[in-house]
Amino acid sequence: MPLSCSQLTVRYGHRKALDGFSLSMEKGEIRALIGPNGSGKSTALQALAGLIRPADGQAAIEGVAVASLSRRAIAKKLAFLPQQPSAPDEMTIEQLVRQGRYPHVGLFRSYNRKDEQAIEWALESTGLTSLADRTLAELSGGERQRAWISAALAQEASILLLDEPTSFLDIGYQVEVLDLVHRLSRDRGVTIVMAIHDINQAIAISDRISLLDKGDLQFDGEPTALAQSGLIEKTFRVRGKFVEVAPGKPPHFDVELTKLLR
Amino acid sequence: MIPNSSAARQSNRWVLPIAMALVPLSLAAAVFMGIVDVPANDVISALGGAGSEEARSIILDIRLPRIITGMLAGIQFALAGLLLQTITRNPLADPSLIGVSQGATLTVTLFLLFTVYIFTPGSHTVAELPIGWLPVAGTAGGMIAGGIIYLLAFRLELSPLRITLCGIAVGAVFHAIAIGLIAGWGSARIEIILEWLSGSLYARTWDHAVFLLPFTVAGLVMLPVIHRPLVMLQFDAAVARSFGLSYRRQFSLVLFISCVMAASAVGTVGPIIFVGLVVPHLARFLAGRHFPLVVALTVVLGAIIVTLGDLIGRLIGGAEEVPIGVVTAIIGVPVLLALLRKVP
Repeated sequence: MPLSCSQLTVRYGHRKALDGFSLSMEKGEIRALIGPNGSGKSTALQALAGLIRPADGQAAIEGVAVASLSRRAIAKKLAFLPQQPSAPDEMTIEQLVRQGRYPHVGLFRSYNRKDEQAIEWALESTGLTSLADRTLAELSGGERQRAWISAALAQEASILLLDEPTSFLDIGYQVEVLDLVHRLSRDRGVTIVMAIHDINQAIAISDRISLLDKGDLQFDGEPTALAQSGLIEKTFRVRGKFVEVAPGKPPHFDVELTKLLR
Repeated sequence: MIPNSSAARQSNRWVLPIAMALVPLSLAAAVFMGIVDVPANDVISALGGAGSEEARSIILDIRLPRIITGMLAGIQFALAGLLLQTITRNPLADPSLIGVSQGATLTVTLFLLFTVYIFTPGSHTVAELPIGWLPVAGTAGGMIAGGIIYLLAFRLELSPLRITLCGIAVGAVFHAIAIGLIAGWGSARIEIILEWLSGSLYARTWDHAVFLLPFTVAGLVMLPVIHRPLVMLQFDAAVARSFGLSYRRQFSLVLFISCVMAASAVGTVGPIIFVGLVVPHLARFLAGRHFPLVVALTVVLGAIIVTLGDLIGRLIGGAEEVPIGVVTAIIGVPVLLALLRKVP
């Protein structure tokens, strides 16, 4: 199993941000973490990446406890992209993407052909090859987000954790990012966990979904089963219904905009 | 594969060679020019160990040691400034921001205050004050201040903002105590402390250069070790750690190196504040996005600017020379303002 966690509990002071969260990922699986704001999605991702120490439970990469691994050892296997990361404005896309090779080159080893190929591939997959020499300050929000994804790709990790990779992007870039995620999973067998707000995108792209509410895991299973559970309406406190968009495909959640239309 | 990059690199390919060529030039200018007019021929023969007693004394015992001390201190100030600006992600960071300058000021003040009574009771003459030990006292004070700030920030959580806030707070306290001590105090020592506070290379000897050299060498030797982490430390901790960096360890290491460099330099020549602040900006302006070049330029420009700044101070001041700290501050402010306007 590439990535798993059991009974993961994270406390911020007295508040439990995550309470007994469990997850097990198959190789190449796409998992969406959904839930209202403050439900613990980011916390779960950070705990999986070993960035915060859980009060209880543990995350494991290929069966080895994350807490026992060095940052470099983790980074070789797992890439994590936080929400709205910041970098110096004068850094270029290529310079940013090169940082993704740090776990492989370490402090002293020079970049070899394999590293350069990984960087080229990362730039190409995100459509940034022609923009490689632009500084981050010159980029649009969508381009910047792709640059960060590209840097994570350069790590050539078999596990990718993304925290709301499509937020703040227009619909065109949203589809592009989701398409990239899908290709990584299917073509390269990359295991992907991502927090995402758009329920329909989550349903459309993921193999399985985890639904969180106030730090509690409410649901863990396939998108179709989630649609039948009625948990979406309850958890998000909305009304709506699932409609079939195409035979054999997961349904589409059509939310009722009661408050707007009244 | 990548457009523009070759053109961008072309334009700053000459920056480092030119800057490096300026080092021997500024060194030569500083050796040959001075308040006492020593003819060029005499300077050359003095450098060879020959020539008149007077010329040899001026060149070998007065000018050279102060120039070398200045260059070493310049390198250390500039490098400490660059490291601090990078890891605190604050373009206005310099050795005084993290309290190192103030810590050094306080210990130098305390040192002068107490040693006088311990070693030579009743002494009020400069000659009898143990000024030879000032660099050691200043270095120790700067390191202590750095250590206190590190511990305070470490207890809370080692982040750029915490280090900055703790540094400002601790620096303010040390500064206030030092000023308080100076205020209630005899005149002979005030002269020494004021000269030291303004940042001066006056009467710096080979002892000062020899004291500084190991620190400079150690700092330069560590550069390749911290180079890649330094790039990473410009990111948020979460990002840097995801890229595989041991954030806490590398942050502490870089902070430690900058404290040592700043403390020993402040201890030896006093707080030449603006060098640490302006030189990294100047290097960034000239080298642009190419970070390895920024680091190299910072080192070279640090040496040049202190040498030339001191030369200017010696020439314009006449017998009452203008301290290097004053020269760099007066020239540095407009330069900094101009650079900050151009940097995006």
